[in-house]
Amino acid sequence: MMHQLSRLGGVTLKTLESLGRSVIFLVMGLRLPVRGGLKLLLAQIHFIGVLSLPIVVVSGTFIGMVLALQGYVVLVGFSAEEALGQMVAMSLLRELAPVVTALLFAGRAGSALTAEIGLMKATEQLTSMEMIGVDPLKRVIAPRLWAGFISLPVLTVFFSVVGILGGYLVGVDWLGVYSGSFWSTMQSSVMFTDDILNGMLKSVVFALVVTWIAVFQGYDLEPTSEGISRATTRTVVYGSLAVLGLDFILTALMFGDI
Amino acid sequence: MNDSNLVEVADLSFSRSGRQIFSGVNLSIPRGKITAIMGPSGTGKTTLLKLMGGQLTPDAGTVHIAERNVHRLSRPELFRMRRRMGMLFQSGALFSDLSVFENVAFPLRVHTDLPESMIRDLTLIKLQAVGLRGANHLMPSELSGGMTRRVALARAIALDPDLIMYDEPFVGQDPISMGVLVKLIRQLNQAFDMTAVVVSHDIKETLTIADYVYVISDGRVMAKGTPDELATEQDPRVSQFVHGEPDGPVPFHYPTHTSFRNDMLKGSDTGKRGRS
Repeated sequence: MMHQLSRLGGVTLKTLESLGRSVIFLVMGLRLPVRGGLKLLLAQIHFIGVLSLPIVVVSGTFIGMVLALQGYVVLVGFSAEEALGQMVAMSLLRELAPVVTALLFAGRAGSALTAEIGLMKATEQLTSMEMIGVDPLKRVIAPRLWAGFISLPVLTVFFSVVGILGGYLVGVDWLGVYSGSFWSTMQSSVMFTDDILNGMLKSVVFALVVTWIAVFQGYDLEPTSEGISRATTRTVVYGSLAVLGLDFILTALMFGDI
Repeated sequence: MNDSNLVEVADLSFSRSGRQIFSGVNLSIPRGKITAIMGPSGTGKTTLLKLMGGQLTPDAGTVHIAERNVHRLSRPELFRMRRRMGMLFQSGALFSDLSVFENVAFPLRVHTDLPESMIRDLTLIKLQAVGLRGANHLMPSELSGGMTRRVALARAIALDPDLIMYDEPFVGQDPISMGVLVKLIRQLNQAFDMTAVVVSHDIKETLTIADYVYVISDGRVMAKGTPDELATEQDPRVSQFVHGEPDGPVPFHYPTHTSFRNDMLKGSDTGKRGRS
């Protein structure tokens, strides 16, 4: 009994210590270097954001297409297939675009960030940078954090746009829903603040959390091949769970008073 | 404190994971000289360099570099001080996403406002000094171990530091690379008057270039003196190390509480620590 209690205490202390370290890390890691900071940031936006575009665009298109197909099957039973545009747009803007993009981001960019920083640590590149008199928190961490914060919301916008176009392709071109009603129901029901801004707010929160987890896991890992593998897995698992959990909380706060 | 010493380590104690690495180490690194820190593997030689560079904090004692306590400096002050220090890592630790040229130019780019043409010239001068000007376009993954070490050396001297620390510079080098590195360390010290600290257990090579040697074992300085003095040292532990005898007062085996016989008879419950 005492042994289990002391083990529980040990795990709790270790978790709290790790949380504390991650908060200090985040605060210290937000300062971009004055010299060449923009160039480093743009390079990371290219790596994290631009190179994630193909997977986001393809996924967004397919999800929009599936949404339209499933929605049509249900709506046509009530002779309400004109509302397909509204359904596709609302689902994407409020939920699917922020959540699925964040999950894809954790898998594609998050794991890459963890592995890259972890390998830099394991091969003493971060230590050598410190010994050259360059703070790796400014030069390596800050550009990656900011690039993640900026890229994910932009990727979410792309996801929504191609998702709606995918829905249009299936709903209008394939299933024969009237194009005018597809767009007009969408236009009349989607509210800028309630739907678009709330969806973007979710995406900003997910961007902060997923990037923070990915970069911290890379920086804090045990510098061995096993440590890198475990940290990369943790990034995807913690990142995905955090996105899903936070999505429920944010949805309850934004739409729970209806 | 003596002005002729660039580094002064006083009563340094350090422990990690419950193991005492150093207890009361005292040593001085004179300006413009090559000082070697030697000792068997696992005695904490690299840890000592990390304590000097301010990457680790001691439990007790002080490290002064140019009369400033390294562990009392603020983070920005420490980073400023490190611009005057170079360190050659055992692995080279080159930035894998930058070419050889960019690796050597890196300290110049981040710490100076020099025009591009001057950065180019200075980088090529450093690469010429280590014999790798022709390899400036290669990526670190295309270099051999010896070349990696030499590029890392060129990067470490890019800002003409006052102090350069070599962490096991001769490990894993073929005889030619080893000869080149020995020559380079000596030349850099003589040409630029750089103070050098060489951490190594390669006795022959280190003794040929060192002006003064400290031998560390069991967490403290076991012997010190010039290479000639060490060669004639009577202490059996120093003699064992200097003459490379496999067993003696410095044990070959890592300490253990159980005898080999008992371990063999105990079954399979040893060595379970690790993957969890």
